[in-house]
Amino acid sequence: MTESFDVAIVGAGPAGISAACLLAKKGVKTVVFERGEYPGAKNISGGVLYGHDLAQNLPDFVSRNCPIERNIVESRLWYLAKEGGFSLSYRDRIFFQEKKYNAFTVGRAKFDRWYAEQAGKLGALVVCGTVVVGLLRDGRNQVVGVQTDRPDGDLRAKVVLLADGINSPLAAQTGFRPEPKPSQVALAVKEVIELPEEQIQERFNVDPGNGVTIEILGAATQGMNGVAVIYTNRKSLSLCVGANLSDLTRRKIKPYEMMEDFKEHPAVAPLIQGGKPTEYMAHWLAEGGYDSIPRLCGGGFLIAGDSGMLFNALHREGSNLAMTSGRFAAEAILEALEKGDFSRKGLQGYLSRLQESYVCQDLKKYRRFGSFMENNPEVFASLPEWAGQAAREMLTVDGIPKKKKQRVIWDRLRRQISLGRLLRIFWNGWRSVR
Amino acid sequence: MHFVCCIKQVPDTAEVKIDPASNTLIRSGVESIANPFDRVALEEALRLKERYGGRVTALAMGPPQAEEVLREALSLGADEAILLSDRPFAGADTLATSYTLVKGIEKINREHPVDLIFSGKQAIDGDTAQTGPGMATRLGFTLLTYVVEVQEIDEKTRQIQVKRRVEGGLEIVRGPLPALVTAELDLAKPRRAPLPSLIQSLRAGVKLWNAEAIEAEPSKLGLKGSATWVRRIFSPPVRQGGPRFSFQENPEGAVEQSLDVLLSDPSFAQKLSSRWKA
Amino acid sequence: MPRNKKGIEVAEVISDRCIGCQICIGECPVGAIHLSREGVSVIDPDVCVGCGKCFEVCPVGAIRYERKRKQKTAPETLPPPQRSLRDYRGVAVFIEVVDGQGAQVSWELVGKGRELAEKLKTRVIGFLLGHGVEAVAREAIAYGCEEVHLIDHPGLDHYFPRTYGQALAELSQKVKPEIFLLGATALGRELSGVVATLLQTGLTADCTALEIDEEKGFLLMTRPTFGGNIMATIYCQNYRPQMSTVRPRVMRLPEKDPARNGEIKRHSWSPPSGPLPQIIDWIKDVSRGDGMDIGQAPALVVAGKGACDSASMPLLQELADLIGGTVACSRPVVEAGLMPYERQVGQTGKTVAPKLYIGIGVSGAVQHLVGIQGSEKIVAINSDPEAPIFQLANVGLVGDYQKVVPALITALKKRIV
Repeated sequence: MTESFDVAIVGAGPAGISAACLLAKKGVKTVVFERGEYPGAKNISGGVLYGHDLAQNLPDFVSRNCPIERNIVESRLWYLAKEGGFSLSYRDRIFFQEKKYNAFTVGRAKFDRWYAEQAGKLGALVVCGTVVVGLLRDGRNQVVGVQTDRPDGDLRAKVVLLADGINSPLAAQTGFRPEPKPSQVALAVKEVIELPEEQIQERFNVDPGNGVTIEILGAATQGMNGVAVIYTNRKSLSLCVGANLSDLTRRKIKPYEMMEDFKEHPAVAPLIQGGKPTEYMAHWLAEGGYDSIPRLCGGGFLIAGDSGMLFNALHREGSNLAMTSGRFAAEAILEALEKGDFSRKGLQGYLSRLQESYVCQDLKKYRRFGSFMENNPEVFASLPEWAGQAAREMLTVDGIPKKKKQRVIWDRLRRQISLGRLLRIFWNGWRSVR
Repeated sequence: MHFVCCIKQVPDTAEVKIDPASNTLIRSGVESIANPFDRVALEEALRLKERYGGRVTALAMGPPQAEEVLREALSLGADEAILLSDRPFAGADTLATSYTLVKGIEKINREHPVDLIFSGKQAIDGDTAQTGPGMATRLGFTLLTYVVEVQEIDEKTRQIQVKRRVEGGLEIVRGPLPALVTAELDLAKPRRAPLPSLIQSLRAGVKLWNAEAIEAEPSKLGLKGSATWVRRIFSPPVRQGGPRFSFQENPEGAVEQSLDVLLSDPSFAQKLSSRWKA
Repeated sequence: MPRNKKGIEVAEVISDRCIGCQICIGECPVGAIHLSREGVSVIDPDVCVGCGKCFEVCPVGAIRYERKRKQKTAPETLPPPQRSLRDYRGVAVFIEVVDGQGAQVSWELVGKGRELAEKLKTRVIGFLLGHGVEAVAREAIAYGCEEVHLIDHPGLDHYFPRTYGQALAELSQKVKPEIFLLGATALGRELSGVVATLLQTGLTADCTALEIDEEKGFLLMTRPTFGGNIMATIYCQNYRPQMSTVRPRVMRLPEKDPARNGEIKRHSWSPPSGPLPQIIDWIKDVSRGDGMDIGQAPALVVAGKGACDSASMPLLQELADLIGGTVACSRPVVEAGLMPYERQVGQTGKTVAPKLYIGIGVSGAVQHLVGIQGSEKIVAINSDPEAPIFQLANVGLVGDYQKVVPALITALKKRIV
């Protein structure tokens, strides 16, 4: 088409729309291309969003009727053995009022649609049902626009922001993002289970509007490197189980089988009792961490969100990194527009912002976490089993003297893991997150 | 040439599921779409505009949300989109509907004389196929229904030549303009909206005309203007699935048992034996 | 009556009855009613002020509301009827002429017309247009018309909506029947729309049942909507004639009695002024089999996605010939280019109601099932035991059709001589 734009954004997810909001507010001529029939149609996440990052883009998101499912007031961590498990939870009054919406659950179809509408109201154009299939380049190989799959579908823009998710075929086209290795991605499946609002509140011991998140390690992923979660929505629970792709292919386990077993676990089953499974979906998660981040900026383009592997697996933070990186991209673009320099140098402000912020700092901090998980499979299999058996042993009152029980536990440890290995696991684990 | 295309927003019956217990439609969560036959009609109007030059106006009658199908029409290349929407229009049967649409067309005609009206042969919710003939009769336009091809428009002699599908074959008819054409599904293959018009349609406005704007007589609108009313609605008798026999497990037995079931009704068996003459 | 939080007695929608006409939404003075996603009205009890306006305007009695006032089922202000309804007597049937003979559907309607006329204690009238169609008029009497009103004119030699529309409207205005039936052929569906508009009266298409209301004596016309999953009974209280179209093979063909007596009344007619369309060419349908319109076939063998194979066509044709039917198909087969669109069964193809439907490799997508529901007997052959069509079929055979169909043909041959 003949009309050109200042910025073309690929993907109407949290990263793309965050950029669009900021750019549109400043009167920059922005168009967002979305593959799905509507924003959110192709987006899946466990469902937690962070108020702080959203507020940077839309301070009044609550009064704009952001579709919030539940405000998270309690976070639980479970470490599960096959027949039992440990639970650690933290609830704080501060999340009820002062730090309300610090974290909250959303349904992506509703949220993304709402978020894109806000960008539309601010003046960005959101074009749906359109796939960006390629990048337009000029003689100097600088990106100068996008090619879409519509008739007459080439669109010129001064800068292109790639925010099209973890699968991003476009990022590969930039030449800077190689296909992620199987060990760098996890495959997660999600099931939404409907339950009456009051029942959720009863089971999780929360008031209307408030909710709980549960992060789960151990037997849930059948000995594979992975994580499971249970999040509370207003009238449903989101259950996700995911495992590292290379583990899955090696063990030849089907993802839905993982989900079925997970739902039957004695810690999980009572929470979902009587619920009606309504949706089933699957998605990728970027687990590569800091070392898998590609070149995020080049002549005429920037990469934000999952597309740039900006995902903190340990803290299950992806949406906030997406929104923040989208915002940084917009700020860098504003600088570039002012200077009229869209080369890699002109857009460098993006990288420096990322480096100075929690985004890269957190990712750097945890850069060894991924390989720790990879190299210490005991964390998912033998360790929780041993720990579970130890607890079972100690908690069962059967007349056996405690000293004898202790010896049994020790013996088992030596057989299954060995004390040395156990200590090394803790040591490595500590180092990986330091 | 000025082409007007009438589009109706209908529930997407392709998305509708049948409740196996009662064999009736489950209407919840059904999205609304443009009537597929009207989409085809619009596509043909756009193609003719490309061939002969001129403009395409999209017209719809319905509640405010029907604006969506008009935006879609703009995104495909229509030059203007008009929605006839007003409370008194509600509850209209085909007599009142054709009246309302014709008042809209008359208003359009005053500004840009209309040469051809396109619409689908029927809507997938009502299936009556009455509105097109009703409109043509009121306007005195040449009526050409079940059109599968527009062969030629002769602007000098003011004639249009089409191919129609009727019982037993295809008819080539040539008639005077102005005319109203109703489209068969194979008249045209709906295009994908090109990017420039899609972007344009995101900015464009759909015109809204109420009863006053089209100078309609209130007694002829909506339920008041309808000659027919719905007495009641009900689910048709439930069709139950019958027995299933596995041919793989028991080839001979399965066929024989199936025929036993099929021919268990003696009058049906007789009709079949007589090859439906009885 | 339920009360809301403010203690007001509020109105409620009976969703099963609601037809989604949205009149109540327009009438509500406080905007308490909206249309739900299911397409039925919902009243917000907290906004409702209990005025009862919705109850008064609902045409189908779908609002629950108690008042000591009189019941209403139709809006108050109606335009006055066109003429005194009592002037309109008789059940008229349009006699469509195909290849010089009366179309079978017209005779089916004459048969039904007799039934209605008997209940109304009135006569059956045939309306016949054409050129050189005297013989058809006599045929009409043999099938049961007591009178035939005929316009025989060269201008009516070929059907055009404008000429036939005007002629038929004129006949109707002269004869003043209370009921006017036409066959829902391509011609009939178009012509009825034209005539109803000229007469400014009510028309109900594709009726599957016609009855006379016991109390008031008007016609109750039942028709399918939503592709046949919701049936609606319609009436035309204040306008005459009450017009209705009926598909072929819905009503029973009556006995022909050449000895029957009847009157043929001839009318004059002047064609309308202005240029008429011209027929340039006519291409007869040269599709396979006997060229029968699949919508008319008494039996159908329908090939689906699972039988989308040109090599198997002769086998299906053999089965079709055996059962006195025609081969048709579902959408994937048309999309694969194996059969033309005229053979497509389903909501966007043709809605069919044969006596016998045999689906071969048809899985049963909603749009297809919706188009075949009216079939008298459905037989399904599919290798997938979970195929949705089995939920509708009178009997199902699970297996590879290439093996099942030959076996079926052999077994059938023994049973139906």
